[in-house]
Amino acid sequence: MAQQLPLDELSTVIARIQGLLLTEEKVHTAVRLLAQAAKESVPGTIGAGVSLLDARGRRTSSGYTDRIVSQADATQYECGEGPCLTAWATEEPVLVRDLTEESRWPEWRNAVAGLPVRSVVSAPLVAGKESIGALKLYAATPNTYDESSVILLQLFAAPAATLLSHIQASEAPHRMTQGLQASLYSRDVVNRACGVLMERLGISHEAALHRLIKQARDENTALQQISERVLAGTPAHGA
Amino acid sequence: MTGDGDRGRPDPGSGLEQEQSRLLRKALHHAGIRHGDLWLRYFSIGGTVGEYEVDAYIQSLMSLPPDQRDLIAHAANELIDEFPPLPRAPYLEDLIQ
Repeated sequence: MAQQLPLDELSTVIARIQGLLLTEEKVHTAVRLLAQAAKESVPGTIGAGVSLLDARGRRTSSGYTDRIVSQADATQYECGEGPCLTAWATEEPVLVRDLTEESRWPEWRNAVAGLPVRSVVSAPLVAGKESIGALKLYAATPNTYDESSVILLQLFAAPAATLLSHIQASEAPHRMTQGLQASLYSRDVVNRACGVLMERLGISHEAALHRLIKQARDENTALQQISERVLAGTPAHGA
Repeated sequence: MTGDGDRGRPDPGSGLEQEQSRLLRKALHHAGIRHGDLWLRYFSIGGTVGEYEVDAYIQSLMSLPPDQRDLIAHAANELIDEFPPLPRAPYLEDLIQ
């Protein structure tokens, strides 16, 4: 009973669910374009990538300019550590001037030892208060990136995060509040019970609803309970 | 507070509709039920009219079909029935058990 603005919430959820059907493709394209632009913005970069992560750090979407990025990135998520995960988790940019002199992420460094990756810069994608992923650049030579690359990438990341958070709707169903879920469920129960009565008694939807209300009134119970009984197969009372 | 019906259509039920919404308004006021909460319950049990229109109906500013009016009334009564009943005085027997 303690719901505020149910209508607003409902329309937002429906808009998000509709968005969900459209956004898979949109997010993918946006992420790819973004990675391409990031790659071109810093000289010496051999590949750029964008990863979108959910609240638990699982990858929901990603875009790459080159295979090398895809490999180096996949390894991060397999190892559960790496510059991008750190950038995402700490919400701070990460600069790796030379991977061979780095002491963080031992497992990941070991795993990418065979790849031509020497410097990395990664900036978190922060939309509002939420960290939604990371943007990263990889280079084959050491000392390709410095503080100015970090600043540049951050400038890039800010509007990108806002844009991506608007088109990223993969969490929409989880955001439905329990109240709204219960509401939609009970509405569905009532409507199904109406359908059962319509078929069973050959009556209109209005007449079926009227019957259910009548019975709920007579028995002083909630319409949902009466409806559940109809669905369970207990015949609705005759008169 | 009785509706003057100047906005209702000249059908025989219009006076009854005014009365139905007036008493609904009174019941909601008495129980302290917010219109938004009423709408949500009404929506939950299959109501098809929007929140804005339901609010207008409660204020006797808009006419709704009879079945929707009864569904609104039922939603209101379900909410009212959910309020904890007033405490009752125990009999001696109740205290001994």
